[in-house]
Amino acid sequence: MTRGESSMGNADKYAKVDRDILAAMEKPGRLYLAGLAVTGSLVVIGGILWAYQIRNGLGVAGYTHPVNWAIYITNFVFWVGIAHSGTLISAVLYLFRARYRTSFNRAAEAMTVFALMVAGLFPLIHLGRSWVFYYLIPYPTQRQLWVNFRSPLIWDVFAVGTYFTVSVVFFYVGMIPDFAIARRCKEGIRKKIYSALSLGWKGTERDWRHYAMLYLFLAAFATPLVASVHSVVSWDFAMSIVPGWHTTIFAPYFVAGAIFSGIAMVITLVVPLRKAMHLHEYITDDHFESIAKILLFTSLIVSYAYIVEFGLASYGGNIFEMESFRYRALGEFRYLTWAMIFCNSVVPLTLFAKRLRRNTTYLLVVSLLVNVGMWLERFVIIVTSLAHDYDPYVWGTYRPTYVEVGISLGSFGLFFMLYLLFVKNLPVLSITEIKEHL
Amino acid sequence: MAGPMVFEEKEKFLEQLRVLVQEGVPGERIRVITPFGVPEVEEILPGKRSKVRFFALVGAASGTVTGFAFTILTSLSWPLIVGGKPIVSIPPFIIIAFALTILFGALSTFAGFLLLSRLPSLRGIRSGEEHGNAFVILVEDGERK
Amino acid sequence: MKRRDFLWLLGVISGSTVMTSCGSGKSTARFTSYLLPPEEGIVPGEANFLPSTCTECPAGCGVLVRLRDGRPVKLEGIPGHPVNDGGLCVRGQSSLYRLYHPERLRGPMAREGGKHRPVSWEEAFSRVADSLTASRQGSLKNLFLSGRTTGSLSRLVDATCAKLGIERLPEYEVYSHTAEKEANGLLFGERDIPHYRIENADFLLTVGVDLLETHVTPVAYTRKISSARARGDFLWYHVEPHLSLTGANADRRFVLRPGRERRLLSFLLREVLDRKTPKTPLSGELLAALPRTTASIVSGETGIPSESLKEIANRLATAKRPLLIAGGIGTAQAGGLEVASAAALVQWGTGAIPERVDFARSENYRDVGTLRDMEELSARMGRGEAGIVFLFRTNPVFSLPQRLAFKENLKKASLTVGMGDFLDETLREVDLILPLSHSLESWGDVEPRRGVMSLLQPVLPPLHDTLSDGDVLLRLLGKVSGRGAPGSYEELLHAAWGKRLGEAGRNRLLEKGYAEETLPKKAVSLDGKRAAETLRSAGPTEDAGKPVLVLAPSLRTFDGRSRILPILSEIPDPLTTITYGPWVSMSEEDAARAGLRDRDEVTLTAADWSTALPVKIQPGLAAGVFFAYRDLLPSPPIRTDRRTGGGVEYIGGVRISRTGKTAEVPILSGSFSQLGRGLIPHPVHLEEGRRHDRWTLYPEHEHKEYRWALAVDLERCNGCAACVAACHVENNVPVAGKADHLKGREMSWLRIEPFYEKGEVEFLPMLCQQCHYAPCESVCPVFAAHHNPEGLNVQVYARCVGTRYCSNNCPYKVRRFNWREHKWPEPIDRMLNPDVPAREVGVMEKCTFCIQRIRAAKDKAKDEGRKVRDGEFTTACAQSCPTGALTFGNLLDKESKVYRLAHSERTYRVFESLGTEPSAYYLRGRKP
Repeated sequence: MTRGESSMGNADKYAKVDRDILAAMEKPGRLYLAGLAVTGSLVVIGGILWAYQIRNGLGVAGYTHPVNWAIYITNFVFWVGIAHSGTLISAVLYLFRARYRTSFNRAAEAMTVFALMVAGLFPLIHLGRSWVFYYLIPYPTQRQLWVNFRSPLIWDVFAVGTYFTVSVVFFYVGMIPDFAIARRCKEGIRKKIYSALSLGWKGTERDWRHYAMLYLFLAAFATPLVASVHSVVSWDFAMSIVPGWHTTIFAPYFVAGAIFSGIAMVITLVVPLRKAMHLHEYITDDHFESIAKILLFTSLIVSYAYIVEFGLASYGGNIFEMESFRYRALGEFRYLTWAMIFCNSVVPLTLFAKRLRRNTTYLLVVSLLVNVGMWLERFVIIVTSLAHDYDPYVWGTYRPTYVEVGISLGSFGLFFMLYLLFVKNLPVLSITEIKEHL
Repeated sequence: MAGPMVFEEKEKFLEQLRVLVQEGVPGERIRVITPFGVPEVEEILPGKRSKVRFFALVGAASGTVTGFAFTILTSLSWPLIVGGKPIVSIPPFIIIAFALTILFGALSTFAGFLLLSRLPSLRGIRSGEEHGNAFVILVEDGERK
Repeated sequence: MKRRDFLWLLGVISGSTVMTSCGSGKSTARFTSYLLPPEEGIVPGEANFLPSTCTECPAGCGVLVRLRDGRPVKLEGIPGHPVNDGGLCVRGQSSLYRLYHPERLRGPMAREGGKHRPVSWEEAFSRVADSLTASRQGSLKNLFLSGRTTGSLSRLVDATCAKLGIERLPEYEVYSHTAEKEANGLLFGERDIPHYRIENADFLLTVGVDLLETHVTPVAYTRKISSARARGDFLWYHVEPHLSLTGANADRRFVLRPGRERRLLSFLLREVLDRKTPKTPLSGELLAALPRTTASIVSGETGIPSESLKEIANRLATAKRPLLIAGGIGTAQAGGLEVASAAALVQWGTGAIPERVDFARSENYRDVGTLRDMEELSARMGRGEAGIVFLFRTNPVFSLPQRLAFKENLKKASLTVGMGDFLDETLREVDLILPLSHSLESWGDVEPRRGVMSLLQPVLPPLHDTLSDGDVLLRLLGKVSGRGAPGSYEELLHAAWGKRLGEAGRNRLLEKGYAEETLPKKAVSLDGKRAAETLRSAGPTEDAGKPVLVLAPSLRTFDGRSRILPILSEIPDPLTTITYGPWVSMSEEDAARAGLRDRDEVTLTAADWSTALPVKIQPGLAAGVFFAYRDLLPSPPIRTDRRTGGGVEYIGGVRISRTGKTAEVPILSGSFSQLGRGLIPHPVHLEEGRRHDRWTLYPEHEHKEYRWALAVDLERCNGCAACVAACHVENNVPVAGKADHLKGREMSWLRIEPFYEKGEVEFLPMLCQQCHYAPCESVCPVFAAHHNPEGLNVQVYARCVGTRYCSNNCPYKVRRFNWREHKWPEPIDRMLNPDVPAREVGVMEKCTFCIQRIRAAKDKAKDEGRKVRDGEFTTACAQSCPTGALTFGNLLDKESKVYRLAHSERTYRVFESLGTEPSAYYLRGRKP
C-alpha cells in the first residue's frame, strides 16, 4: 500500500503495480545466476552424500548409541517449524484482517511450501532402510497389514502431509488471479504456462464470489494447522518417555518456536528480496515493524517455555529429568545451550526499542541469529536428552560427520535454490491483493 | 446486445452498475469482469451466496468420519498389541481424524470451487480475452433461443 | 546310416553333453534340498548334538556340539560332566570362532628366504625325517616342547619321542603353578595341584587365586562356589594385591601389598595352629621353624588392618570346614614357595586334606615345567646344542621375557618345526609349520584331572588341509620308519579306550563324552622335616618396590592364546568395560596425583623394558598398584624366582610418565556409578519399593498358555560374560569392531553393566526386558515391534524401516541398530545359526528370549501332544551360565522355577516405576 495520495489515475496505479512486481520475473542478472550456481551445487553435493549414505548405511553419519536421532531430525523439525509462519501470515492474519499481511504473504507462502518440501526429505534421509519408506504409508500390504496409528511418526505423516497439501493448494489458489495477470504480460512459452496455470481465469463476479469463499475456507482450514501440525511434530518427542522430552509444554512451546523461527526466516528472505527487486513501496518499514513485533512476542513465549522447562525439572524432583537438564546446561554441549539462549531469548529483547524494530539491517542480523538459535534449540533438545537418559551405563555423546553436515547444507541449498527459482518465475507479491487495497 | 462497458475507474464502474440495476436489468443478465474482487458488487448485484461452503462442510465431515473409520477398522483387522494399549485407541486416532478433516475439507472446497466456477476452462486458457486492469460490465441479450 | 557313423554321432553327442555340463557352476550353486541326507544322522532343519571337549584352555570342560547340516553352530556344556556340569565360560563359547577363523593355517608351510610358502605334507614330513636322520649322526639333541598335554596324546608323544630319539621337555605353560606344585611336592610328596572341593567347605579363603577367571579349571570352581553359596552357610574371603573379578565377587575382599602374602600366611598359620590341633600333630622341629609374629606387625607389613587380620584368622580357625587356597599372583612371586608351603600347612592344620584338598584327583599339572626350564632350553639352543626343536601348541616367543632371547636362540637350532593352528609369534619364527586341526575336527581324549577322561571327537571333516594332533605324530612316525603310519589316531584311541574302559565303558565314553574312574583313596602324609627345612631356608621378605605392576591373567584371553578370537575383544572386560585395545589399570589416588584421566597414555619403564599404554582408572584398586593383563604385554620382563624356578608375575619399581598423547580406547560404560537410580537397589541407592498395585487405564491383555520370563540372580552373577558370548554365537550377533565401539555402537544383545559403589562392584546383566507395556512398541510406525501373545516383545526384521524411535524410547537401551552391513567373511559364515536370520543394514535387533528355541520346544511338545515342561529348554545365556544365575521359564506355570524366583522377597525389576512391566526379574545381591 502506498502512503499518501498518488497523483496518478487508478488505471495507471494498477499498471504500475503490475510492472513493478512482474519486473522481477525478467532475465536473471549475474548475481542471481551466481546464487543459483552456489545453491545448486550444494544440492548436488547433498544428493551425492545421500546416495553414499544409502549405499553404506547410516553408520557413515555420526550417530552413536544412544544418540539415534541427531542432525537429520533437527533439520526436519527446523524446516517444518519455519513453514508455520508462512501459514500464520497467509491464513491467520487474513482472518484477522491484518493490513500489513499483503506485503509478506506470497513470499511467506512460498517459504512454507519449500520448507515443507525440504522438511519432507529428512524422514527419508534418516531412515535406516530408505528404500522401503513406503511401509510408512497406510496401505494394505501383501499380508493385509496397515500402519501403527498410535505412533507419533504416523501422526507426522498425516499432519505434515495434510499441511503440505493444504499449503500447496492455498499457495496455488492465491496465485490464480496473478497468473491471469502474468499471462497477459508475458510472451512465448511462458505465456502458455501461465495461461494453463491460471485455469482460464476470467474474473467474473461469479468467479470472485466462489473464489472469496474458497479463500476464506482455506484460510479457516489452514489456521488450525498452524497450531496442530507443529504440536504433532513436537509429540514425536513429548510422547516418548525420554527425560527432557517427556513434558506437556512441548506443544505450545514448539508452535511458538515454529512461528518464531518462521518469522525470522521471512525477514531473512524478504529484506534482501525487497532491496534486490526495489519493492520499497510495497514492503515498507511499517510492515517490518509489525513483523518484528510478532518476532519479539514469540521470543518471549519461547523464553517462558525455557523457564518452565528448567523450572519444572529442578522443582519436580525427578532425578532423571534433573540430570538431563543439568547436562544440557553444564555438560558437553553447554556452549550450544548458552548460544541458543542468547540468540533466542536475549537478542530479541532489543526489539523493544522502536528504532531497532524499524531498522531492516538490524532486523536481518537478528533474524539470522534467531535462525541459528532455533536450529540449535532443536539440536540441543534432541541430542542432549538422548545422550543422557535412564541407564547411566549407556550414556554417550555425539559428533556429526561430514555426511550429515553435507546433507544439511544441501537442504539449505535446496531451499534457497527453490526460492531463487520462485523469485524469477512467480510473482513475489500478491498483485491482486495489493491492487485491492490501493 | 449492448457491447461491453469498460471503465478505468472503480467508482465510475460501480455507479454504472447501480444505474443498470435501478433500470431494472435482471441481475442474471449482468456479467461483470473485474481485475480483483470488489465487495460492493456483491451488494449491488443480488445473488446467492456461494455454494462452495457446502463442499467444505461435506468434505470436513467426511474427513472426520474417514479418519476414525479408517483407523479403527484397520486396527481391528489385525489387532496387534503395542505398549499394552487397547486395540481401539481413541486419543491417537483423534489426531488422524483431525488431520483428515482438514485435508478432505480443503481439497473438497477446492474441488467445489473448480466445479462451480467451471474451471479450468479451456476456452479461457486458449482465447486469452484480456481486459487488463479495466472494470467491464456486459449485459447479455434477453432473448436467446 | 552306417553303424560306424551312428557310433561316431553317439560319441559326439554324449561327449559334448558331458563336457558342457562339466564345471557348470551354475547348476551346483542352485539350492536343492536333500531327499536323502548326505550323512547318517543329519535331518535337514533339525539339530543333533555330539559330545566333545573344549580345548580353548587347559581346563577340559565337556561340550555338546550342536550341529546343523553337519556344521557345528553352537557349543553347550555337557550337563553332569565332572568338570563343568553344563556350564561353559566366555572363552569356551567363543572357541567356535577358532574353528571357523579365516586366518587359520590352511596347510603345511616351509620358510624360504624369510617368508613361508605352502608345501605338501609329504614334503614337510620328508624334511623332518631327513633332519632326524641327520641329527642322529651328530651330537645335537632333538627337543619336543608342548603346552600341557594329557591323556592318550601325552602317551603318544612319549612313545613318538622315544622311538625317534627326541627329548621330551617339561611342558610349557605361562601359568604353571610352580610354587604350589613345588610346595606340595616337598611337603606331601605330590608335585601337583590338588582338586579343590570347594563345595565341601563352609569357609573359603583365597589368596591371589583367580578362581573364577583362569585358575586351572575356572568353570568348575565357579560352579562349586555357586552351589556352596546356595546352601546358605558358605563364606568366602579373598586377599589380593590388585583387583580381579574373583576378588570383586568374594563376600569380602582384602587388599594387601604385593609380595607380602608370605607374612599374611605365616600369621594365619600361626593362628590356626595355636587354636586348632591338627589330627596328626606337627613335629617340634616344624613348630620351631614357624615364624612368630603379631597381628599389628603383620598389619604393618601387609597393609591389612589388624581387625581384618584377626577376623580372617578367626574364621579360618573356627570354621568347621575351612579351605585355604593360595595360588596365582599370590604364589607367582619371590617367596612364592613360602607362601605355598604355609598355605599347604594351613590346609593340613585345618584338616582340609583330603575332604577339600584332594590329591587323589589332582589336576594333572605334574609334567608342566617352570620358567627356569625355559631358561635352560633357551640357553641350550643358544649354545647350539639343539637339533630339531618341535614346538607343539605353544607360543613361547610371545610370552617369555625378552631376556631369555628365545626368539634369537631358536634360530640356532638346526630345524624348527611348529605345530599349531595360527601363524602366531612363535610359528612365524619356525622353519616348518605343520598345521593342526581344531579339536572339533579331531579324535582324542583329555584327562583334565586324575580319574576323569573327556572325549574329543570330530564333528565335521577338517576345513583345511590339517591333521589332528595324534595323526601328525603317527604320520611322522610312519614317514621316519618308512612303513607308513601305524594306523590312524582314531584306531589307536579306540583300542586304548577299549583296553582301559572295556567295551561298555568305551561306548559310554562315546555316548556321554566323558568317563569317570573310581580312584583308590590316597593317603597323604606331611613330611615335617622337609617342611621345616623349607621354612627355615626362606630368605628375607623381598620388597616389591613401589609402584608395582601386577600382571594378571585375563578372563577374556587366558594367557593370551585366545586373543586371536575377534569375539573376545568385542566382549568387554567386566571390570573396565574396555573392549579393543590394551590398557593399564590405575587406582583413583594415583591417577589424581598424576593428573591422569582415562585414555591418557603413559610409559611404564622398569630396568631395560618399557611400554606405552593408555590408563584406565580402576575404583577399588589400591594406591601404588597397577595391573595389566598378561596378553597385553608381549614378552614382559618377568623375573625367575630363585627357589622354585617359576615366574614372578609382577614388576616392581615401575616408573610411570605421561607421554602427552591420548589413545582411542573404547570404554563402553558411560558411568561406573548408578547415580542413585536403583538399577541395583541397595540402601544407598534409590530404594525401589516393593511391588505395588498398578493402577492403569489400559486393559489387561491375556496370556493363554505361556508367558515367558527370565530371572536374574545378582547374587550368583559374577560378571564373567559367558552369557554374552553364548548369545553372540546363538543369535548370529555380528562382531562390530573397534571403530564402531568408539561410537558406542556395540552389537551385543546382552551386556554386563558393572556398577561401583565405594570401590565395590556389582554386575547387572542387561538385556531386553520384554516389557508388558513396552515403550518401544507403541512408537514404531510400522508395527515392526509389537507384543506377541506369549509376553514377548517381538522385532520383525523384514518390516523394520529403521526410524530408531524404538531405541530412543527404550529406557534400558537394549535395542541395537545395524548401522552398516556386517560382513561374515568366509568361513565364519558357516558358523551362522540357520534358525536365526542374519539382519541387514538399517534394521533394529535385540534379544528375543531365544524365540527360535521357544519355537522348537513348542513344536516338539505339540508333536507329543503336551505343553512345554519347565526346564525342557532354556535360552542360550541361561544355558551357558556357570553359576546358574539366569533362569528362564513360563510364568504361568506356578510350579516353575522362574515363577518361584519372580515372586521371592529378593525380587525387584529395573526401573519398575516407569511402568514398563518388564518380564525380566532381578534378585538382589547379598551385600548388606
